[in-house]
Amino acid sequence: MNDPPYSSSEPLLDIRNLTIRYREADRQITAVRDASFTLNRGGSLAIVGESGSGKSSIAGAVLDFLGPSAEISGEILFEGREISGLAPALRRRMLGRRIGAVFQDPFTALNPALRVGRQIAEPMVEHLGLPLPEALDRAEIALREMGIDHAAEVARAFPHQLSGGMKQRALIAAALACNPSLLILDEPTTALDVTVEAQILRLLSRLRRDTGVSLLFISHNLGVVRRLCDDVAVLYASQLVEFGEVERVLERPVHPYSKGLLASRPPLAAASRGSRLAAIAGQMPTAPAPEAGCVFAPRCPFHEPRCSELPQPVVISPDGHQVRCWKSAGLGPWPRQEIAAIDEPVFRRGDALVNVTGLSKTFDKRAGFAAWRLSLTGGRPRLQRRPRRQPAVNDVSFSISPGEVLGLVGESGCGKSTLGRLLLRLLQQSDGSVEFDGADVARLPSQALGPFRRQAQMVFQNVGSSLNPRLSVGEALERPLALFNLARPRERIKRVEALLEMVQLPPAYRKRYPHQLSGGERQRVAIARALATEPRFIVCDEPVSALDVSVQATIVNLLADLRDEFGLSYLFISHDLAVVAQLSDRVAVMYRGQICEIGAAAEVLAPPYHPYTRMLLASAADDEPAAELTDRAPTPAASAGCVFAARCPHKIGPVCDTDPPPLRSLSSSHAIACHLDLERQLVLPRPDGRLAVEARATS
Amino acid sequence: MLILIVVAALAQWIAPFPYDQMHIRDRFAPPNFHYLAGTDEYGRDVFSRLLIGSQLSLALGGTATLISMGIGVPLGLIAGYRRGITDEAIMRSLDVMLAFPPIMLVLLILAVTPPSLIKTAVAIGVLAVAPIARVTRSVTLDLMSGEFIEAARARGERLHYMLLRELLPNIWPVLMVEGSLRVVFAVLLGAVLSFLGFGVQPPAADWGLMISNGRAFVDTAPWISLAPGIAMSITVIAISLVGDGLREVLDPKLGARR
Repeated sequence: MNDPPYSSSEPLLDIRNLTIRYREADRQITAVRDASFTLNRGGSLAIVGESGSGKSSIAGAVLDFLGPSAEISGEILFEGREISGLAPALRRRMLGRRIGAVFQDPFTALNPALRVGRQIAEPMVEHLGLPLPEALDRAEIALREMGIDHAAEVARAFPHQLSGGMKQRALIAAALACNPSLLILDEPTTALDVTVEAQILRLLSRLRRDTGVSLLFISHNLGVVRRLCDDVAVLYASQLVEFGEVERVLERPVHPYSKGLLASRPPLAAASRGSRLAAIAGQMPTAPAPEAGCVFAPRCPFHEPRCSELPQPVVISPDGHQVRCWKSAGLGPWPRQEIAAIDEPVFRRGDALVNVTGLSKTFDKRAGFAAWRLSLTGGRPRLQRRPRRQPAVNDVSFSISPGEVLGLVGESGCGKSTLGRLLLRLLQQSDGSVEFDGADVARLPSQALGPFRRQAQMVFQNVGSSLNPRLSVGEALERPLALFNLARPRERIKRVEALLEMVQLPPAYRKRYPHQLSGGERQRVAIARALATEPRFIVCDEPVSALDVSVQATIVNLLADLRDEFGLSYLFISHDLAVVAQLSDRVAVMYRGQICEIGAAAEVLAPPYHPYTRMLLASAADDEPAAELTDRAPTPAASAGCVFAARCPHKIGPVCDTDPPPLRSLSSSHAIACHLDLERQLVLPRPDGRLAVEARATS
Repeated sequence: MLILIVVAALAQWIAPFPYDQMHIRDRFAPPNFHYLAGTDEYGRDVFSRLLIGSQLSLALGGTATLISMGIGVPLGLIAGYRRGITDEAIMRSLDVMLAFPPIMLVLLILAVTPPSLIKTAVAIGVLAVAPIARVTRSVTLDLMSGEFIEAARARGERLHYMLLRELLPNIWPVLMVEGSLRVVFAVLLGAVLSFLGFGVQPPAADWGLMISNGRAFVDTAPWISLAPGIAMSITVIAISLVGDGLREVLDPKLGARR
């Protein structure tokens, strides 16, 4: 996918010595410092960096929406013209026609009050001067190009009627409406599920091939970059640290930061108990970063005193690869943290800590008064209670042994968070039972509820809201101690400091408030708060999904350390198979409220697969072409049979639509719910989505 | 605002003349150095009456707001926290209160009972319960989606801890703004009532009453009505500004970003 025949050597976007500073009340913040790179016509360039590294500021400078507080120096040459000095009206006209942009959040980027087709037609009316009806027709054609089958319907729909992937397609169509020569994509797939992400990426690479549009792709995700781009620029704390061809940078990174970033990504494989991810110590300096020396020096394992003194020039190797590190030539691989091998624990079914049988949860979409409807059928009008039921978890059974980690994987909306909350009795189940330590959780008498709450805790996804902004870290950690009377008032401060040490935070953090902490630090505090009650079981609901890759690695390692030190059991919920595999003994794959595959981590990650597991794996894998996925949007369909039937590439016939598949055991621990003969599935030919696409493109 | 409160508290001593002292010879005197804001139809010093009147107005506004917050905040908290049937019951009964035109309701209360300052304050305060409860509830609902609330529930926290420690401190900033608005409304409503003759009774010095009395002489002695009007505008603006200021001081994030 990376062969660059459609890329010429004529520069389209040439950025030279770009520096962006934001002026605040009493200080200056440097967002981008002295960045230079070139994007050729028809090429695709990725800018990769963690949050706060300044990558979006570069896009903002090109698109001219940084506002008056930003000071931009350096040159931005687009199609050979310097654009940062252009008059605003002129620049706006050019931007509208020649540059398209797509942003991170498809859920808020469309105006909810306008029909989708109208929003795609708008730029054509504005910049190409087309009459509205013609623009609307073109919008429909554009939607069809985006791989949407029922384009006319989608064009007439309002944004809330579309799924996230569908919205992102519509936004790409709008960005491409005026045939721009450059498309700027700022984290276009971050808010989407992996399978949808894979589809959007395929769509983008097809569009690039067909229309010759150049891509400036901004992302924190290295895997995504590999699949779409020719060149990659790695940004760290406002500085461009490495720039070169994708293959080179990702296979043989030279700058220490690139090495660390690549090493901290979890591999898509089951991990042994003792293994830990490579991590980058410390955190990215918030502005103002040191003006002299290397910005990465404080966290660099190859650091020596001279690093902090010498200014770091960009070194250009003969093949055009640029690195901002004076000693990059002779560096070895990123050091890995090795831990002595630990015996793999053996879990037997009999001694389960958590035992879930036939668990179901149905939400009433219309609750309270809203459930009452006026019925006019059958003679005289009557008021009837008609709640609209929405099953979230459907007949789920599994068990977790003491000290065992069960990973739960699934896309957004599949019910995995609901399941986690059911286990802790934060929600009341509709059917089935949850047993904790032999006692039915739903029927616990009120005096037994306290001890249960103490032993079962939760860590949340959203680091922004999981801590009360009005309580200091110390207060937040003292509360569980006081509530369960775990430490006498005088000893509490000591205990709080011990907890902070457990999550590798300095004791002085006791006095801080959540807004003074970084995302990773907040998650550590949240973990410490869960640990304060000395629990045996913790539900981790996407604890690392909102964090940057390098921070994610440290949190995953921390969770693994705590698991081994205290013999904790986790239900580890995530949409990221690689992260789950890193930490879990067993993995359950969930789709639309049902578990479709469950087994030891190694068994789930190896054939035979459930078709959905296979789709997830194909989407998550970097280099393996996701052959099961076309770039076409799936058409959702309700089904009485297998929940996955509508999207399944291996559907065998009507039986999939009518009969729910049985959960069949393949080994003592591995089970798959599917009608397919799973031994035969291994030799099934892969339906070739790529061929179908090419046929479309030529017709 | 501070100045206003100090002035109101010390009015008795600052005022150049007793508020009901009549200077028969100086009736309808325009503002001059002797009578800073002129005199009214009985020759009373308008400036002195203004100062004394500020006591009444602020006391009325403050008491009314305290009453409405005291009832409205707990109701809103519980409605937002409990949801379901409790929420419906509380909010629907408050809706019933909202359905009455506010002035009518207060007039009704005051008409059937003899007027007094406390009663006026209570009437205005009860009237503001519904909006305060609504605001509290909506902020609570917003907070309830926060994961720290869920974390507290996972610990099995009791109702009072949830409401007082987890929720209330986060609602304060919004309540401060809302509360200052309510003081403003209460002051205005009090003046309106006095103007209509249902609030404070003459010869007490009240701004609304003064405007009402001066109405007849607007042509010849506009300062009698104008002065209390201006005083009221200044008060209203001052209270709003204080509300905004308080919110900024109370917000830990805004403070730390500096």
